[in-house]
Amino acid sequence: MRLLLVLLALSFAGTAANVWLLSGFVPWFLLPDFSFLVIVYAGLFLSGPLGFLAALLPAFFREISISGPPGTFLLASLAVYFAAREIGRRIFLRSEIFLLLIVAGLLAAESASVILLLVLEGGHPFSVLWGAEETVRIAWTSLLGVFLFVDLSVRWQRIRE
Amino acid sequence: MVRKFFRKWWRLFLVAALLAAAIQFFVRPPGFFPDQGIGRIGTYLFRPVYGGIDFLRQGISSLWSGYIGLVNVSRENRELRKEVAELRENLKESRDASLENRRLEDLLRFSKTLEKRTVGARVVGHDVSPWFQGIFIDAGTGEGVEPGMAVVIPDGAVGRVHRTYPGLSEVILLTDSRFAADVIVERNRVRAVAEGMGGNLCRLKYVSPTQEVVTGDRILFSGFDGSMPKGTPLGTVVSVDRPREGLFLNIQVASAVNFLSVEEVLVVLSRPSIPFRQGKP
Repeated sequence: MRLLLVLLALSFAGTAANVWLLSGFVPWFLLPDFSFLVIVYAGLFLSGPLGFLAALLPAFFREISISGPPGTFLLASLAVYFAAREIGRRIFLRSEIFLLLIVAGLLAAESASVILLLVLEGGHPFSVLWGAEETVRIAWTSLLGVFLFVDLSVRWQRIRE
Repeated sequence: MVRKFFRKWWRLFLVAALLAAAIQFFVRPPGFFPDQGIGRIGTYLFRPVYGGIDFLRQGISSLWSGYIGLVNVSRENRELRKEVAELRENLKESRDASLENRRLEDLLRFSKTLEKRTVGARVVGHDVSPWFQGIFIDAGTGEGVEPGMAVVIPDGAVGRVHRTYPGLSEVILLTDSRFAADVIVERNRVRAVAEGMGGNLCRLKYVSPTQEVVTGDRILFSGFDGSMPKGTPLGTVVSVDRPREGLFLNIQVASAVNFLSVEEVLVVLSRPSIPFRQGKP
């Protein structure tokens, strides 16, 4: 229960700080997606209803704070959770490089899917500069994710012991 | 066999189903997914945050100008310098207040020039996702704001309301790739469709190479599609490319508005004549 509360607080505080406090003067590519990280953490490390619950509220936060078509990011975030759960059950080796690859891979897959949908709808809003910025965002969020995941796992293990 | 296979891989099936549903919502027809419940809960959760942050910003600003700004006062002439600094800070505060008053007066004057009823709102947040460009304003369903309504300032158009909640609305900026509206060139009234292309730019579509559009031309909203008040500035043409092949000119327009510096906006309380699809052009 304590871990669940920590994850929800992290997700809420991260989203709130990004959208209402830091946005507008900190460039978007330097603002890590905390809700996404919590969803992936829940998928990789928490099993059962607790993991789903830990992923559900961050998915709501993403739905509210991303101005995509209604419903899209709630469902996409839950898809990320189940994908992370599957990775966590089958191929996940607990090392930093695997964590980095998983977070970066899921972020890149989500980004590529949204870009594909936008381009298929007729929009061409993405430039080389945007690509570079998005790469920075993915790299930065993944690095922060590794740090957070390792830290949270170690603390959680200590509490359990 | 099938059951065993499904039992083993049900999460991946669920991932596929969720993604398929998400794509369906992305390309859905109008009114397919009413999400008022989720949004309402979300705004209740986040309202204290953005309200508190707005309050804190004003508090920190006055604290900064009142005390911290005086740290560098010289010890030799402490009292005198303090007094001068205080006066300067007061002057600065007055200037800030006067600038804010001027902005609000401009908005009021501008709102009177618009034939339609408007409501003022403060910008409380920005969309930080890499794919969309939007802002959050502190006026929502309670103030009569509805999806599709135009959001403007005296300098020009800001965007269009995307989603509304109690006390909060999401606005798609006109540089978002999902924004499109009917525009005209001020100088020679050539018509085109403006579409967001990220950054601070829009592109003009469907302008024939026989039309004369040059760098520096001012672009205004025509008002024909009812999405924006007629004559609202969109921006200035920054590049015109005449392709050797192709039916239309490639024209880029820089927005008249610096979206990062917008603090207060006006929402034009008039429903668009063309049905608005949330998140769609």
